Amino acid sequence: MNISLKTVKIVSLAVSVVFAGIAGLEFYEHRHFREAVVPSPNLDEVKKLSDYEPSLKDSVNDSNVYVFDSGVPGGTALILGGTHPEEPATNLTASLIVENAKVEEGRLIVVTRANRSASTCSRMGEAYPAYYSVKTNWGEKKFRMGDRCSNPLDSWPDPEVYLHYPSRQMLAYMDIRNLNRTWPGRPDGLLTERTTWAMTQLIRQEKVDIAIDLHEAELEYPVENTIVTHEKGESIAAMTSMVLTAELFEVPLSMEFSPKALHGLFHREVGDHTEAISLLAEVAEPMLDRIRGITDEYLLMTGRDEFVMKAGEHKLLYAPIDERGWPIDVRVGRHSSTVQKILEFYSMENPDRAVVISGVPGYGEVIENTLGAYFHNPEEAPEGSVYFD
Amino acid sequence: MFAHSGLVLLVICAAFFLPKVLKLSTELSMLIAAIAGAAAHSILIAVTDSPHDAVPLIPVRHIVEGAFTYFDVCLIFLTATFFMALLRESGGVAFIVRKIVSTFHARRTVCLLLLTFVLLIPGALTGSGATTVLTVGALVGSVLSAMGVDETRRIAIIFLGAAMSAAAPPINLWAMMAAAGANMPYVGFGKPLLVLSVSGALFSMFWLAGRGESKIDLKAVLAELPEVEEGQSWLRVALPFALLLGLILAGRIWPFSMPVLGLPLIFMISSFLVVILSPRRLNIWSIACSTVHNLSTLVGIMIVVGILIQVMALSGVRGLISLEVVTLPLGVLFATLFIILPLSEGLVQYAVAPLIGVPLIMLFNMRGLDPIIALSAMSVIWPLGDCLPPTAVVGRAAVLELDYRGRYYLDFVRACLVPMAFIALTGTLFLVFSTKLSFLGG
Repeated sequence: MNISLKTVKIVSLAVSVVFAGIAGLEFYEHRHFREAVVPSPNLDEVKKLSDYEPSLKDSVNDSNVYVFDSGVPGGTALILGGTHPEEPATNLTASLIVENAKVEEGRLIVVTRANRSASTCSRMGEAYPAYYSVKTNWGEKKFRMGDRCSNPLDSWPDPEVYLHYPSRQMLAYMDIRNLNRTWPGRPDGLLTERTTWAMTQLIRQEKVDIAIDLHEAELEYPVENTIVTHEKGESIAAMTSMVLTAELFEVPLSMEFSPKALHGLFHREVGDHTEAISLLAEVAEPMLDRIRGITDEYLLMTGRDEFVMKAGEHKLLYAPIDERGWPIDVRVGRHSSTVQKILEFYSMENPDRAVVISGVPGYGEVIENTLGAYFHNPEEAPEGSVYFD
Repeated sequence: MFAHSGLVLLVICAAFFLPKVLKLSTELSMLIAAIAGAAAHSILIAVTDSPHDAVPLIPVRHIVEGAFTYFDVCLIFLTATFFMALLRESGGVAFIVRKIVSTFHARRTVCLLLLTFVLLIPGALTGSGATTVLTVGALVGSVLSAMGVDETRRIAIIFLGAAMSAAAPPINLWAMMAAAGANMPYVGFGKPLLVLSVSGALFSMFWLAGRGESKIDLKAVLAELPEVEEGQSWLRVALPFALLLGLILAGRIWPFSMPVLGLPLIFMISSFLVVILSPRRLNIWSIACSTVHNLSTLVGIMIVVGILIQVMALSGVRGLISLEVVTLPLGVLFATLFIILPLSEGLVQYAVAPLIGVPLIMLFNMRGLDPIIALSAMSVIWPLGDCLPPTAVVGRAAVLELDYRGRYYLDFVRACLVPMAFIALTGTLFLVFSTKLSFLGG
């Protein structure tokens, strides 16, 4: 080796080490960033997923379980946000509920970061921003942007092919880290399977009557702006979809049944393996489209994208989009109203197991006042009333 | 935004071809292109009134994150090659070649069928054509050489066999990734993939090696082949392969009790058995070093492709390319997909499945085509691009593994053209008539 080549190699190595150091520090900060949550004063207790599956104790997925108990007899509802942390309207809606809910009848259980591990890394090759912020009256409230699947640092390696438990259906290898492909889970599985197992146990032990999982989807995807329901939730989903479409939403909310042949999904397995009614709500997120343009926090929060609009002109989309995009306030507002309407119709159908909540802003309020108006300043919160996700 | 992403694409192209003209390697040219693209993206946002977020001139986090996109694939390349290198050094490969030639020298057709089967297995189980090349490429190449097949046809057969093995069921990574992206279960793909990949592999093998002496001068051929170490036996050679296959199958048969080992560890465990059973003492350190050295180009290209894709996603270039493909009229798509799919595979490797596979399959579904048959057809055409620039991962692996001395495009790729046309044609026919062939996906 001549000297010049040696020099090139040493310089290359030095540059690589510097790059790895800078990026490593960013990855470390992202993984350990703590999202403050200031629950409403009506919070009863905060449990952990490890209370339902001990192997999760002190693990990255030992997520907070916020329990609101009205003290009035009724049913129990569960709301999941952050199943896929690349879909921010889901954990933001769950946080909005936790910070504002008052339960009048029955109990409400909320998990804001259902797959916390997946929120500690962003998807390789997708160039996602590391964080996003919501503007509030007291400053910016910052959140981790995440991946669809659990962090490989927490669950690695993947098998060559993932066989779902218990159906043995063959799925893509990375789906063993996808929380919405590992229901109902198993106690001796990998991290993501143990996480869904913990939540299945939560549903069983807490006698959850109705469970709602929140999602966002690309506009190219046919399951869009809809409620996917297990057969048990047919009438509730139908009524919710009809009323919200007729009275509130600019873009219709549809309803469809959970496919029986597709396994591992929340709406199928929770309905099949527990007593609960399971429903999954989807809203449009242009940043998930493969045909999107510049990828950054601006696109994530505004949902404005010329390329996606162009695809719409070619009739390649399942949801409308124009210059206004799909702002985060619209997406969170839709989810918030959808959750509230589902609980309203559930309670009408099951008056002896009703879950009645108030205080949570709906579609109109979130759009009018912005989402940030409903988040509370953790620095001004009473001592001991701030939790971290 | 169209102007922004278009300009960044131009910068990437210019920055890629300029270093190439200056005789820099493909990997370095691509790295320079990625960094130049990121810088152009950053500058364009800064100097225009773009509402988008400011980006550092060199977005270090994105470069490092992108570099790890194909980390697992690189580990499989390294460990699979190490396994085969150990087997070769132990005299196992020479032993197998001599046995196959001795047994089947009088039956060329049977021999070719057997070799096609041997080529299909590793990629079918792992989804990786490079794994096929790195595990059985040299072995099959040696047998073909003994059968009188010239080196250009040999490398073409190894490449096409590897491409079809990656497409063969049960594991087809393109179909799995695109199905996952479109929220389709990976179910019903077995038959269409089997028909397309096996017909493609058989056509390739018999087109390129079918003609020739039906009988081989056994004495002359054996004299040319390397001698086998004393003490070498079927048991010593077959046990590591049996362990490899056993560990892979155990994960399928007992998925809920067998720990997830991952292919890299499975190859390393099998490598350990090769060392134990070898009739001669192996210099493990030296073999490991030469393995890494030989694969540095291949691994390098995978790392740099990951960086380039991340920069393209960041700057909207990826979206621009995807959008241009999916907005083509359906007739034009049918007529050009056999070119678009291999070219895009050559550009971004497996990332092509989520990049254009998902929008395409959603488009086809919307237009009434059978999504399982259509995706199967595309998933068999994609791997043909693994010998095309800038990545050419499987093609390069074949060149390294077979120590090919001919001209890459004018000889090797040219020799592949007729079988490639056959595979592309059958794939396109499956795509166009997917609705009528939907019974295969049932």
